[in-house]
Amino acid sequence: MKKKKMLLSAETMDVSFVRKVEALSGTSVRRCFQCGKCSAGCPMATFMEHPPNRVVRLLQLGQWQRILAGRSIWYCASCETCSTRCPNKVHLASIMDALRKLSWDAEGPSKESYVQLANKLFLQNIRTYGRQYEMRLAAVFNVKSGQFLKDLMLGPKLITKGKLKMFHQKNKNMTEIEKIFSRIEEMRKNGEAL
Amino acid sequence: MTSENTLRYAYYPGCSLHASAGEYDLSTRELFKKLNIGLTEVPDWFCCGATPAHNVDELLSLSLCAKNLELAQQVDGDLAVACAACFSRLKTTQHVLSESDVKRQQVEKAIDARVELNANVKHLLDILARDLGLERLGQAVTKPLSGLKVACYYGCLLTRPTDVPNLDCVEAPTIMEDVLKTVGAETVAWSHRLECCGANFTLSRPGVVLQLSHAILDSAKLAGADCIMVACPLCHGNLDIRQKEIEGVYDTQYAMPVFYITQLVGLATGLEADKLGLDALIVNPMPLLKEKGLL
Repeated sequence: MKKKKMLLSAETMDVSFVRKVEALSGTSVRRCFQCGKCSAGCPMATFMEHPPNRVVRLLQLGQWQRILAGRSIWYCASCETCSTRCPNKVHLASIMDALRKLSWDAEGPSKESYVQLANKLFLQNIRTYGRQYEMRLAAVFNVKSGQFLKDLMLGPKLITKGKLKMFHQKNKNMTEIEKIFSRIEEMRKNGEAL
Repeated sequence: MTSENTLRYAYYPGCSLHASAGEYDLSTRELFKKLNIGLTEVPDWFCCGATPAHNVDELLSLSLCAKNLELAQQVDGDLAVACAACFSRLKTTQHVLSESDVKRQQVEKAIDARVELNANVKHLLDILARDLGLERLGQAVTKPLSGLKVACYYGCLLTRPTDVPNLDCVEAPTIMEDVLKTVGAETVAWSHRLECCGANFTLSRPGVVLQLSHAILDSAKLAGADCIMVACPLCHGNLDIRQKEIEGVYDTQYAMPVFYITQLVGLATGLEADKLGLDALIVNPMPLLKEKGLL
């Protein structure tokens, strides 16, 4: 792969985006001095094109488009090892949350569609049923991602072990959950929340 | 609390315990009954939002957790949580909302109620080791797990978030080992007790789970463990349900039973196998338990 040269100038340093990330995550991007401890302990770093410390470095340089275009943020497992070990108290796990949210809201380009699909279905399930039903989640995920045979061999065993429920009840309080979702949507529409 | 000896809790099982981790729910209820600890399920609790919610929508994640904390107020007692992920989310919510007035106001608007920040959220391990206490737990043991070598697996979320006083030391916790030694088991020292199992990538990118959980199983085996003990339904799913697949992909053999903490402690207090849901485990634990004379 041919590497593109990174040119830095006042125009490429988009700091307003970084400010948004800091506001959402409640943590400082600028405090990072690149010791690399986050990447050293990250269980998912091998799956990322930009390891965690480089994600922060790119943010510091205002190069956020590079992050959003890649799959690194979607391959974070939210284990919080990075935040735990950061000597400068940069809460990197929260920065990852903020970056995913901004990418999600912008429906921006990303190389990682499966994780996003899983997230979407998970949240839809909560809105519709109040709780998570793994059987439905897995079945719908397979259909929507076109992987009809994924984990098919696990199915019968899980059913005989009582681990997959074929039927489930809706939570009795469903109007409450719908209200939470719609109130949040309304707050965002009115500009009262990010 | 009515008297010094009566422990009573509001119980938040979480979604997995009503589905793929039914044996964790069953063994928790049976063990707590045996130990005279009251558990009353929070009525009409919701999903905490887990990783997917905070992944893309922090406000939704905080609101779902805050709503559950509010629902839990209907039941007397601290909130007992079984799942490591729910536990971490609820604690995180309390922490974030106590730090940020803006976020707290937004959440209060979303759930149309005051946010309960003072509720004590406790993981089952905390209740066993501290509220009941190791001494009283030891007194309840009728069948010590002698000779059973256990790799205690904490995973990531049990001791996180890090910014609040939590279950145990974030880098070197011992609470699982303390509980297990109290019930007579032997615990092994091993490298991967805090490493991530791949968590919810089990749905979207199972290859990640196979690679990470393989390292965990390998490490436990190298340390000479007979079995692994967990306190999280997601860790359990990855290490137990996917174990055969991992053996296939990496051409190796573990046959390493993976227990929930409540199953092993329950066994030591004399509970029968059917009350602990041992038959629901995918890697059959019966040969090991029979060999050690524990069944």
